[in-house]
Amino acid sequence: MSGNWNYILRRLLYLIPVLLGVCALIFVLFNVVAGDPTHLLLGKHATAQDMADLREQLGLNKSLIAQYWDTVKSAFTFDFGRSWSTKRDITQMLIDKSIPSLTLSLPAFIIATFTSIVFAVIVAFYRGKGIDLFIRTSCIAMMSISSLVYILVFQYLLAYKWGLFEISGYETGFPNFLYYIILPIIIWVILSLGPDIRFYRTLILDEIYQDYVRTARAKGLSENVILFKHVLRNAMIPIVTYTVVQLPFLLLGSLLLESFFSIPGLGSMTIDALNSSDFPVLKAITVLSAVAYIIFTLLQDIVYTMVDPRVKLQ
Amino acid sequence: MMKLGLGIVLTAALSFTSCTKKKNFDEKVLHIVTEAKVKGLDPVNAGDTYSSDEISRAYEGLLEYEYLVRPYELKPNLAESMPEVSEDGLTYTFKIKKGVLFHDNKCFPGGKGRELVAEDFVYSFKRLADLKNNSTGWWLVDDRVAGLNAWREKYKGKDADYSEKIEGVQALDKYTLQFKLKSQYPQFLYALAMVYTFATPKEAVDMYGEEFLNNPVGTGAFMLKGSYTQSNTIEWIKNPKFRDVRYPSNGSEADKAKGLLASAGKKLPLVDKIIVNIQTEASTRFLEFEKGNIDFSGIPKDNFDQVVMPDQKLANTYNKKGIDLIMVPDLDITYVAINNEHPLFKDNKKLRQAMSLAYKHEEANKLFYNNTGVLANGIIPPGIPGYDPNYKNPYLKYDIEKAKKLLAEAGYPGGKGLPVITYDHMATSVGRQMADLFQQSMKEIGVKVETNGNTWPQLTKKVKTKQTQLYAMAWLGDYPDAENFLQLVWGPNAAPGPNGSNYNNQEFNKKFVKAKNMQPSLERTKLYQELNQFVSEEVPLILGVHRAKIVLKHKWLKNYKFSTFNAGHAKYYDVDMNEKEKVIKSGILTKSVDTKTASN
Repeated sequence: MSGNWNYILRRLLYLIPVLLGVCALIFVLFNVVAGDPTHLLLGKHATAQDMADLREQLGLNKSLIAQYWDTVKSAFTFDFGRSWSTKRDITQMLIDKSIPSLTLSLPAFIIATFTSIVFAVIVAFYRGKGIDLFIRTSCIAMMSISSLVYILVFQYLLAYKWGLFEISGYETGFPNFLYYIILPIIIWVILSLGPDIRFYRTLILDEIYQDYVRTARAKGLSENVILFKHVLRNAMIPIVTYTVVQLPFLLLGSLLLESFFSIPGLGSMTIDALNSSDFPVLKAITVLSAVAYIIFTLLQDIVYTMVDPRVKLQ
Repeated sequence: MMKLGLGIVLTAALSFTSCTKKKNFDEKVLHIVTEAKVKGLDPVNAGDTYSSDEISRAYEGLLEYEYLVRPYELKPNLAESMPEVSEDGLTYTFKIKKGVLFHDNKCFPGGKGRELVAEDFVYSFKRLADLKNNSTGWWLVDDRVAGLNAWREKYKGKDADYSEKIEGVQALDKYTLQFKLKSQYPQFLYALAMVYTFATPKEAVDMYGEEFLNNPVGTGAFMLKGSYTQSNTIEWIKNPKFRDVRYPSNGSEADKAKGLLASAGKKLPLVDKIIVNIQTEASTRFLEFEKGNIDFSGIPKDNFDQVVMPDQKLANTYNKKGIDLIMVPDLDITYVAINNEHPLFKDNKKLRQAMSLAYKHEEANKLFYNNTGVLANGIIPPGIPGYDPNYKNPYLKYDIEKAKKLLAEAGYPGGKGLPVITYDHMATSVGRQMADLFQQSMKEIGVKVETNGNTWPQLTKKVKTKQTQLYAMAWLGDYPDAENFLQLVWGPNAAPGPNGSNYNNQEFNKKFVKAKNMQPSLERTKLYQELNQFVSEEVPLILGVHRAKIVLKHKWLKNYKFSTFNAGHAKYYDVDMNEKEKVIKSGILTKSVDTKTASN
């Protein structure tokens, strides 16, 4: 057990060099490559003097080392200051925006994953038969259609024409938000089903052709027992890998869905920040993504040990 | 967790016959859609139209535009009357309306809004000047008001002393406000109708501090419900203590015929609530409008042919749905800016003229503005003094032979010797299409153009640092004075200022300064017209069109009249909820669109 804790601690300590690297990267990207944000922040009538004053105020006239230190400090303290564009506290913005993003992405992801695994098991069970062919063909057909088409057609038919859902918008609090997120969740699930079912099917089939399955069959175990007790359990390792790696990105929401459905999440906040050269917000999102990625890959390793006792954290 | 997620969705799906909110027709609610994020609600940072519109629901200024009168005219708002102006035109004295109350807010003792006084304007002007606020509206008063620049500089990098007297902006008594200008500035009155100069109470700024921009406290007709959280919905409620302001009766016969005088004399505001939805996608905005969820909207480019017939009338089906089409000229100009500091274009008028003649202006109007724009014979748009309907820009027409001739005279016969010219544009589909048309037009005279897509920050950076050769841009007037358009080519305004074409002609500069400092008069109008022609013939930028504002509105929305300067106009709008309920419940809005028949 202490080995496990050592491993977790070691992985958490990796955060330090990774964050320093991320800070260096975003510092170069924003402060050197992207250039002067005051062009945009002061509007169309700004003079050179106004811009110089603002640069001074934003600390852009400090030495590069001092600016890098500010970036590092904000990454490690999670105090990102205020947005240059909206002047709001960035931590508060992240909290406010992550809730709408998660109300959309989390249930959509859970439903999509659960449904995909169920379908993948079915097609794996009936591999080579009509139902397998039908589901696989449907998956390819679904994947061939652009996500924009789903959004536009579903908004038009289901929301506008048939009045089954709200066209767009968002409200906080239960159950109000449900009125607005069900349609984007349906679209998210449909968009995920095609690639996910095919991927999970492949993982399950990889297991089905393993030696131990033949042994089980030779021992006279039923197909159901083989599939659900042995195959699915072993297939869970890559499934967990695939699933957990996606979790940090759920926080960032879906740019397209948030945009079309007017959901005030982190995806749309990122785009707004990009369009207004709001570097503090972009830095915060980048740091947050990096930290979330590291933490979730650590969680992934921990979950491994739970699904497969052979795996040890070292 | 999976079961929980599924459970929530299924429960929701089963709980409602359809997953839509029940519509409430009891309350008079105005539904507005805005197409970009609102950055904040602080008057001194009303730098974009969308923020400015929202701020003006809560805040007010000394002056405002007459709602129905065109050409645009100013009238007193928080001022008791128009100001007394000294003979030298430098001192403006205003009397403030008595008994005007700020919104009830916890920043005031007992939570009761106090009375507006002249000192509030003094404070608001200082906020505009305070470097700490980085106001995007500083340009309006920069080097104009006596002592204001010195005060600003004095407190650079420090906390400003707001109690310090400034010669140019003083409260003479509780209700008398005086401005002293450093030089002639006839546009000053327009500045007082712009959101940047609206009255802000010190108590609110002190109490909310950095969160002031999310907690508006003004004297306006509407109050924000809660705080602004950068959400995609903003809810405004009627200010119960809004002073007695009545709907105007000074409209034209045309206004009367359109029913715009039906509410004359009624106390404002006319609606109980405004719900503003921020929706950045045009297709979704349009669906929301068609469904009746918003009261008025623009038309997305892709839907234009479906809604507006070639004779520019509304398609019959939309007419039957009780939708009105409004098409009015906006005060704006589109152009392809030429960097006149670039050695290629500097002092080479003939090259610039040749390019303007080769550009397919009419084709551009057809392709990108559905033929609704007015080809720009000059930089000054129709509707303001200085626009000359009789003047024809000799470089606006498509004349390939003359273009070739001028190109040869410019030293590049058939384009020989001319390096490839870069045309920067926004990396959007329309931006790219415009660039393609420009490239194709220039190819016909042998001018090779390379197009380059940019994000908005990239394009802004290039323009402000003079790194462009050509770029596409548009300018929407800040106020209805030709000076605001002519300054786009005034030398001292070169980048990073608004003169992104970096044109600097001494003759133009001299005449421009003379004109902009003149009080409105026939003489000034003539000078504006002269300058307008000067720009058309010198071609410091290739003029495009003056775009039309095209709005669709449901008939249940009453009193809607488009204005380029619509600060505070929501208080005039009315919604007939009975009519709205009838139309929505009839289901007619979601019936199929027949695009074949034109309206009668």
